[in-house]
Amino acid sequence: MKTYGSEPGIPDPVQVGIAELAVTEGDDTLKSYGLGSCLAIALYDPDSGIGGLAHVMLPNGDEAENSDQKPGKYADTAIRALLRRMVERGASYTSVEAKIAGGSDMFEFESFDESVGQRNVEAAIDELEKLGVPLIDEDTGGKHGRTVEFTPATGTLSVQTANGDAGVTEL
Amino acid sequence: MKLDVNALGTFYRIAREGAGLAAGRLTRMTGVDTRVGVTKLNFMRGKEIRRDFEDGTEKVGVRVELSGGLEGHSVMVFDRDSALRIVKTLLSESDAEEFDEMNRSATTEVGHIMNSGFIDGWADVLETVIDVSTPEFVEGRSVELFFGDSDEMPGEDDLALLFQSHIEAVGTEIAFSHYLFPEHDSMASLLDRLRTSGGIEYDKLDGFDRMAQQGAEEVANTATTLTGIETSVEIRRLNFLSLEAIPQEVADRMLVGIAFEFDGIPSGYLLFLFDEESAHEIVDAMVPMESDEEGFDEMEKSAIKELGNIMASGFLDGWANVLDTTIDHSTPEFIHDLGAAAVDPVIIQLGENQDFAFVFDTVVVADGREFDCEIYAIPDEDDLERALNDLDVDRVDDTPTTAEFQEVENTSGDS
Repeated sequence: MKTYGSEPGIPDPVQVGIAELAVTEGDDTLKSYGLGSCLAIALYDPDSGIGGLAHVMLPNGDEAENSDQKPGKYADTAIRALLRRMVERGASYTSVEAKIAGGSDMFEFESFDESVGQRNVEAAIDELEKLGVPLIDEDTGGKHGRTVEFTPATGTLSVQTANGDAGVTEL
Repeated sequence: MKLDVNALGTFYRIAREGAGLAAGRLTRMTGVDTRVGVTKLNFMRGKEIRRDFEDGTEKVGVRVELSGGLEGHSVMVFDRDSALRIVKTLLSESDAEEFDEMNRSATTEVGHIMNSGFIDGWADVLETVIDVSTPEFVEGRSVELFFGDSDEMPGEDDLALLFQSHIEAVGTEIAFSHYLFPEHDSMASLLDRLRTSGGIEYDKLDGFDRMAQQGAEEVANTATTLTGIETSVEIRRLNFLSLEAIPQEVADRMLVGIAFEFDGIPSGYLLFLFDEESAHEIVDAMVPMESDEEGFDEMEKSAIKELGNIMASGFLDGWANVLDTTIDHSTPEFIHDLGAAAVDPVIIQLGENQDFAFVFDTVVVADGREFDCEIYAIPDEDDLERALNDLDVDRVDDTPTTAEFQEVENTSGDS
C-alpha cells in the first residue's frame, strides 16, 4: 500500500501509474514511480502552462485491439490522447513541446529479441516527429530505473535515478 | 469449470470498475478523496486466505449475500480504526471509540452502499439482476467471523476463486478491502456463458497450484540450507491480473532482485525480490568477508545470484517434474533498483501478446531475522494453457519435486 505525504499545504503529486495518462496545469505535479523499460512522456504548452504525463508500456497502439480503451498504454496513442486533452483544455497545439525519460534495458534476456526499452523510445520519437511536436530533452536508455515528476507550469521534468551518484536530473 | 482467459479478463475488468464505483460512493458520502488500488482475481486455498486475512488486527466488516444472476458473498472489510474514522467523518458528534448501535448502523450503511456499488457493475455487464440481502455487521479478528459460515469459504486445502480490491482514502489512514466470493457453480455457469476459447480445466489449475505449493516450500528449504537462516513460506497464492497491475504490487522502494527467463512449456519469467536489509543479511550469512563498498560488490552480487540460481532450480524443477517436461532457465540477472523498474521489462515483453497474466506469488520469510523474499513466477499465458491442458492431475501427488543441487556456473562476474 502506498503512503501519502502528510505535510499540510503541499498538494500530493498525482500518481500516473503504468498505462495511465493525466493532464493538468500550473504548479500541480504529476509523478510516475519506478520506470524501468517503460517510458514517461511529458507534453506541455509553455504559454498556457497546460501539460500532461503518460507512463507508457508498449510502442505501438495502432496495431493493438484495445488501444482505444487504454490509450495511455502505448507510446503513439498516448501522445495523441495527451495532445487532444491538452488542446481541449486550452493549450495551443503549435506551441506544445515534449520531454521523455525512461526506456532502460534492465535485463539481457534472449527472449527480449529487440531491446524492449529502446522500442518505446523510438516509437515516441517517431510519433512526436509525425505530429510536429519538438522533443526538447530526453533521459533514456541505460540499465537503471527512474522516478519522474513533471510540473506543467515550468515544463520541468525531474528525473530521479536509483543509484545515489546521479541523484536528480532536471530536464 | 473451465477457465477461459478472455472471460476471466472480463470479470477482472468488472471487478476493477466495481471498485471504482464503490470508491466513488464513499467519496460522495464522506467528501474524502479515494484511490482504488490493485484489484486481483485470486485463486487461494482456505489456509492461505486465513494467513492473508489474519494479521492480528481488529477488523470490521459488512457482509451481504448475493443471489440471482450471481450467487455468493460480497464483504467490505475495514481495519477497525479506518471504520471508526469513517464514522467520525459521517457523524461529527460521535467520539467513535466503540461500535455502539449508532456507529454500527453508520458503518453498516456505508458498507452496504459500497457493496451495492460493486454489485451494480456486475449486474450491468452481465445484464442480469443480482439480489442483495440485508447487510450484516461483523467485528473481530478471525477469518471465520467474516467468511467462515458461507458456503464459498473453502476448506483448508481447497482452492477457491475470489476477487479482492483495495481502496484507500488519499491523505488519510483510511484503507479497506472488498472481497467477493462467488459460489462455484454460479461462477462456472457465468464463465461458460462468456467463454470464447477452450480454456483451462479448473481441476488442472488446482493440481498445478498444489504442485507450485511444493515448489515454494522447496525454495524456502533451499534458502535455509544455503544461508543457515531458518525460512518458511508465509503467503502463497495464484493471481490473475492485468499486466500493468503487477508492478504496482511491488514495493515503492529500492529492492535487490534476481531475474530469470525460463524456456519450455511453459516459458516465462521468474523474479526473486529482496528488500535491501534482507539482501545484506543474506550476504553476511553467505560471504564471511566484510565489505566497505556501498551497495553490493562483485562477490556479494555473485553470492546473491548463486542463491537465486539454486532457488530458481528448486522452483522450476518441481514444475517440470509434474508436467513431465524440461524447463530451462537463464543465468541470473542481478538488479538493485526501484521495485517496479525490475518488473516492468517483463510485463512489457509479455504485453506484446497478452493483456493479463497468471502470477504465482510467494512470500518467504524468516522468524526473527531480516529475510523477506517475494517470488513472482509469470508464465507466458498460451504456454501455461498448453502445459495445463497436458497435465495429468494424478501425477501431482506422486511426483517428487525435490530439486537436485547442481553445480552453479556462470554466476560470477557477469552482472
